[in-house]
Amino acid sequence: MSTAAVSPLRLALVGNPNCGKTALFNQLTGSRQKVANYAGVTVERKEGRLVTPSGRSYALLDLPGAYSLNPSSLDEAITRDLCRGFYPGEAAPDVLVCVVDATNLRLHLRFALEVRELGRPMVVALNMADVARRRGIRIDRAALEEALGVPVVETVAVHHNGAKELVARIEALGDAPQAPTARLPAAAGDGQDATEALHAETRRLLSLAVEMPSRTARIDDVLDRWLLHPVAGLLVLAVLMFLIFQAVYAWATPMMDAIDASTAWVGEWVAGALPEGPLSSLLVDGIIAGVGGVVVFLPQILILFAFILALEESGYLPRAAFLLDRMMAAAGLSGRSFIPLLSSFACAIPGIMATRSIQDPRDRLATIMVAPLMTCSARLPVYALLIGAFIPAQKVGWFNLQGLVLFGLYMGGIVSALAVSWVMKRWRRDKSEHPLMLELPSYRIPHPRDLLIGLYERGMIFLRRVGGIILALTILLWFLLSFPAAPADATMPAIDYSFAGRIGHAMTAIFAPVGFNWQICIALIPGLAAREVVVSSLATVYALSAANDDAASQALTPLIADGWSLATALSLLVWFIYAPQCISTLATIRRETNSWKQVGINAGYLFALAYLMSLLTYQVAVALGAG
Amino acid sequence: MDTGLVIQYVVIALAVLASAGVVMKKQFPGATRRLRIAMALPLLREGRPAWLRGIGRVVAPAGMAQGGGASRSDACGGCSNCD
Repeated sequence: MSTAAVSPLRLALVGNPNCGKTALFNQLTGSRQKVANYAGVTVERKEGRLVTPSGRSYALLDLPGAYSLNPSSLDEAITRDLCRGFYPGEAAPDVLVCVVDATNLRLHLRFALEVRELGRPMVVALNMADVARRRGIRIDRAALEEALGVPVVETVAVHHNGAKELVARIEALGDAPQAPTARLPAAAGDGQDATEALHAETRRLLSLAVEMPSRTARIDDVLDRWLLHPVAGLLVLAVLMFLIFQAVYAWATPMMDAIDASTAWVGEWVAGALPEGPLSSLLVDGIIAGVGGVVVFLPQILILFAFILALEESGYLPRAAFLLDRMMAAAGLSGRSFIPLLSSFACAIPGIMATRSIQDPRDRLATIMVAPLMTCSARLPVYALLIGAFIPAQKVGWFNLQGLVLFGLYMGGIVSALAVSWVMKRWRRDKSEHPLMLELPSYRIPHPRDLLIGLYERGMIFLRRVGGIILALTILLWFLLSFPAAPADATMPAIDYSFAGRIGHAMTAIFAPVGFNWQICIALIPGLAAREVVVSSLATVYALSAANDDAASQALTPLIADGWSLATALSLLVWFIYAPQCISTLATIRRETNSWKQVGINAGYLFALAYLMSLLTYQVAVALGAG
Repeated sequence: MDTGLVIQYVVIALAVLASAGVVMKKQFPGATRRLRIAMALPLLREGRPAWLRGIGRVVAPAGMAQGGGASRSDACGGCSNCD
């Protein structure tokens, strides 16, 4: 039996960015890849398995969106190479499923025609057919199918069973799908002729099969008049961001209190159930104090991401990119940097990978360099701990003071990123600017299922980190803080004689000028692997340093509020705006730039910036009497 | 030292070793893979007893036995944020 006879057919989803390929991929394979209402979310090929109701199996590829098969960015090149069968180690797909946005056929049909010219078997999926109908766009599917010469089906990727017809058409193709016979009139030509032929054929198809209403997007127009206004738009953006950070504090408290109380109860129960000894200390002072200290911030992370996901889904974010383009260009970034930088608020790693959609290498490098300055979700627990300990929970006018400080810290990261890219722009010779070409999607009410999936994913990512790297580092830190034991003639607390205690005291020679004590210095080391570990490390250090069980069982917040000066807390907050320590981010920069030099520059400038800004903050705070 | 305390120290030692393994694998996937290959190769040589080869197969990274590459989360240094 030949291999071809047993291998499942390989299908590839192709199409313009933001036409719903990934939503369709999720629908067909039952997977949960990230979807959003803006272009450039998928920058790599993804593979899944589609099993039809009759039990037939297909390999399904989700490819990055492309405006053309003449690529202008790395992600478009992946799509081009894969469709043509040039992708290293991968044969061309057996069937191309070209996904087109039914509400924007003028743009999307052009790409479908380019794909058809490849001469491979294909199916066209008219996605978002429901939205098109609601807007009064009438598409004669049969006429379009006849004119294109390939099967055309309607899909609604975000609805359950919205791809049923597509699955049936794929099955109907059988084992040897037919290649399209229709061709562009000027297919043999290239350059201007081919482009003209594409445009002419698109116009012909539209006139044959599509009837547009006089105003397709009245609501979009009204909203855009306000949201894209140079003054009102910026004001709305600022108010939105501000409200998000207010909500993070105002809504999370009850859940956080509940988690805190549960952690304390579990700690007390374990301490009572186990005999006193090293194992009890590992569980209570190490694992429960450390990991519990991080888990408590889950509600704040979920609230923040609920807002970000809702904004992503609504189609507002590309508008924000459009609004900020002038400011970003002045600072040496391109408007296309907006989406990678926005992704960096979750984690710098996907943000840096998302820079593949930036065509210009200079703009791409500038974006990679400043992406770590966006406040990633791992920094939120550190901010929340310090704000909770040092900033009073009081109102300033209508606003929560703690929320205001959090907003300020996020803004600090953004302003610093703009300042750094501005300095980079001053240094480089090429000062040319690239105009922003961005497709503004239609506004959409966020789909609850996608929001819930997104939130579930964010929650699981956080909990996986807690149960994986954070737990592992907490155990290692407990070990380093507990061994070796103090000598018989010890005059200082036992922890001062431990490996970690000695390292922490040695590090204070460097960090004393910025106000960090030895406990903070110790916490910075495991923070290199995961920034949240700073919180669990501090919890473990203070639990092991406690003079008695009552002191050890206290939550971390009052302990540091009593033990640190305000100047130290402010200095540490400022340190974490720049937070140069993240090994995974540096590894990603190495992979994306293929240069150790860029890794060195990034780590070096972030460390220098963090140290200088913390030094400045601490010394000014001490001079003002906060020391 | 009583038996209870010895058991406690054994559990702690295992937890610390497992944690070190997790941190190494997550933060330094390439180095961990090379280390596992270096440790497994002498154990898998022809002529070694079956039980030693069995240990070698356990120590060897998955890709070595199956001929595949590194997993996706290993590719970037492994913050697990993209999994």
